[in-house]
Amino acid sequence: MDNQRPIVEMRNITKTFGSTRALRGVDFTLMPGEIHALLGRNGAGKSTLVSAMSGFIPAGSGTIKIAETIVEANGYSYAANIRNDIAHVQQTPQLFNLLTVAENLFIENPGVRNKYGVVNHQRMVERTTELLSTWNVDIKPDALAGELGAGTRQLLEIMKALGRGVPVMILDEPTAALSNAEKRILFEQVKYLKANGVSFIYISHHLEEIFEIADTVTIMRDGQVVRARDTVDTLDLETIVTLMMGEKTVRSGRQDHTNHKAPALLQAKGIRIDGFSTEGIDLSVRAGEIVGLAGPVGGGKEALAMILAGHQKPAAGAVVSPQGDLPTIGLVPTDRHASGYVGMLGVRENVAIGGLDKLSDAAGFIKLGKEAAHVGYLAKLTNVIASSLEQAVSQLSGGNQQKVVFARALCRDPHVVVALSPTRGVDVGAKEQLYALLRELASKGLGVVIVSDEEDEISVLANRVVIVVKGRIVDELVGDYSIKDLVLHMEGVA
Amino acid sequence: MSINQRSNTASAKQTAGQPRLSALGSAFVSQGFTMYPVLLLLVIVGAIVAPAFATTVNLINILEQVSVLGLTTIGLTFVVLIGRLDLSLEGIVGFAPMLAAVMLVPTTAGGIGIQLPPWMGLIVALGTAGLIGVFNGFMVVRVGLNPFISTLGLLVLLRGGVLIVSNGRSIYSPGKAFTYLGSEKLLGIPVSVLVFVVVAAVVGYVFQYHRYGRALYAIGGNEEAARAAGINVDRVIWSAFIFAGLLAGLAGILMTGRLDSAVTTQGQGIIFSAFAAAVIGGVSLGGGRGTIVGVVSGVLLIGVINNLLTLAQVPSFYVQASTGAVIIVAAVLTTLASRRSSGVRTRT
Repeated sequence: MDNQRPIVEMRNITKTFGSTRALRGVDFTLMPGEIHALLGRNGAGKSTLVSAMSGFIPAGSGTIKIAETIVEANGYSYAANIRNDIAHVQQTPQLFNLLTVAENLFIENPGVRNKYGVVNHQRMVERTTELLSTWNVDIKPDALAGELGAGTRQLLEIMKALGRGVPVMILDEPTAALSNAEKRILFEQVKYLKANGVSFIYISHHLEEIFEIADTVTIMRDGQVVRARDTVDTLDLETIVTLMMGEKTVRSGRQDHTNHKAPALLQAKGIRIDGFSTEGIDLSVRAGEIVGLAGPVGGGKEALAMILAGHQKPAAGAVVSPQGDLPTIGLVPTDRHASGYVGMLGVRENVAIGGLDKLSDAAGFIKLGKEAAHVGYLAKLTNVIASSLEQAVSQLSGGNQQKVVFARALCRDPHVVVALSPTRGVDVGAKEQLYALLRELASKGLGVVIVSDEEDEISVLANRVVIVVKGRIVDELVGDYSIKDLVLHMEGVA
Repeated sequence: MSINQRSNTASAKQTAGQPRLSALGSAFVSQGFTMYPVLLLLVIVGAIVAPAFATTVNLINILEQVSVLGLTTIGLTFVVLIGRLDLSLEGIVGFAPMLAAVMLVPTTAGGIGIQLPPWMGLIVALGTAGLIGVFNGFMVVRVGLNPFISTLGLLVLLRGGVLIVSNGRSIYSPGKAFTYLGSEKLLGIPVSVLVFVVVAAVVGYVFQYHRYGRALYAIGGNEEAARAAGINVDRVIWSAFIFAGLLAGLAGILMTGRLDSAVTTQGQGIIFSAFAAAVIGGVSLGGGRGTIVGVVSGVLLIGVINNLLTLAQVPSFYVQASTGAVIIVAAVLTTLASRRSSGVRTRT
């Protein structure tokens, strides 16, 4: 293979998000007909690198050569230039829920329309039926994409991308939502296309898959490549994990305030997240305990947290409290822009809506003095920095917005705080402050549930880690675990 | 918003100095005072060009004329604040008092023959209005219809309903107790004006200082955030439609009272003026933004302009067209003012 010219060559690629340097001068080479695994922990820069490759996120600087196209990156979008050379299957399916399977598969596909742009419906359905039978997927071409299960949706997304006939394919965590049977079908197709000269970049957290399907491995850490183009046979699991983790020992600020004597604050009994769940979830949260929910994207950890917080109805089972009435629960939702804050309102009003019943008198009128005092106290507790408590939250920095969301969650004096992605898109300083806040809450006897995609975050906070995969709890870590233990358990190899 | 404008202290305290003036400016806009200078200007111009304008009689007359529009607009504001709308309010203004009127008068005057005591008319009208609000809330919250289409349908239905219950004829003199609010005076001031002022004050206070008002603004600003904060979003949306309906019903009672009759065309076109008044007053049709102070300014502005154009003996065709033009200009002004002051783009 060495005498061939590479199909993808990336030189000195950089990308920064705000103050975070996601890629620090990365080189990457892909040969034709190769399945190239890209490994690294969450936040190592894998997804950013492949997004820079496909143009989904334009790189800040560097040179990208894909097939015959050369791009000098300068931060502006170049996705259109390389559209016919590369396809990128993202972690979460990007399907049109209200369109049918056939329409989703052949959207923007010139193969099913005439020169005036009129789509031949019959042809589209025929080709879809053909495709579905090749993939051995038992769905109707006219089913709505929104009605399908997560695995099927993921397969559709992959089929759509593969159907474009491009020489380079990026598969970012393609198997996260797939069943074993679906995974087998995917691997067969990938191997078939590889034999026809298609190259793949394959990202996965399941290391055993790498040994099964990949030829070459590149490992990233902290926005840099630490091992480039090793042949997969020369590596073993232990070496890979060590390379992914690096030498640095993460300073663990973990504290354990768990109260084992009192009955649990909150208890999930036989929870089934949705209709696809096959097994009930039992989970309890004690006072002073920080429970971390970890697992792959789409594995159900967010849904489980929302069910615990009482903001989502489980398909079966119930959340109860052994102490009688359900405790007051404060929620920090996963996406603060979508459901965290009201941008046009000020800090005071945003915090107060978290506890309107607590701040108002019997007739429902807000006690202004109490409001000012309580919001002021919470703003101080969460370290919100704003020109005044009346400043619109949309004008604050990401870190301060997140602190406002925390203050709102604490407004009703909750017994349990459920925080999803508590520090997503937050700078390092604010991150530490929020960690300190969560530990302080636990030390005061609150039960804390956090959901995170970052192992670092889980390991500096959680006294107990529950790993959720495909809607069920597959593993649990308690007490004195290292981040390496956590990574190994999440990869399912420990 | 630059970094140095933020205070560095951990607690959030107002930084003194240069931003104070601009803070005052944005408070002026966000509290809904934007249109009052324009209103003042119009009153001064009016007083100069039309001698009949700046008389007590005429000014009270304007207030009396706008009280119906005012109550409807305040009702509309409930639903617009949460990012919804309710076209059926216009239908309620016509239907609720008509239904009451036919229950009050004898069959010879067009009634249906049950001749309830006149005070019962108030209960029938408000009850009907409230029930229509319940229905609207049900359609939006439970059935999940877009309020535009569900309330449009109801508007057309109620228009027909007026003709059905009245047999296509207006009902005259429905009874003293029923028309009291719209026709009598108290201390020289029409009761309808007092009703409008009291309702505006109470609703304005609730919007600012009651948890219900806070919930309305939160839902309008970001419904999902309100839900995540633990607000019972569905209940608030539902109740907003009920309050809107009740206020439209009250507006209808005032109108019937003033005319001493329930007219079949009563209220026609009022929903457009109500939307215009709300937008002029700084209410964002996207939800989350707007005050009663602003709504009142919008209502007054429309009343003053109509009155001035009439006094200036502008032919009536031109009155309607120029009101439309003024609405557009005022809406542009309000939107620009709110964008400049807050930096937040609103969908008006």
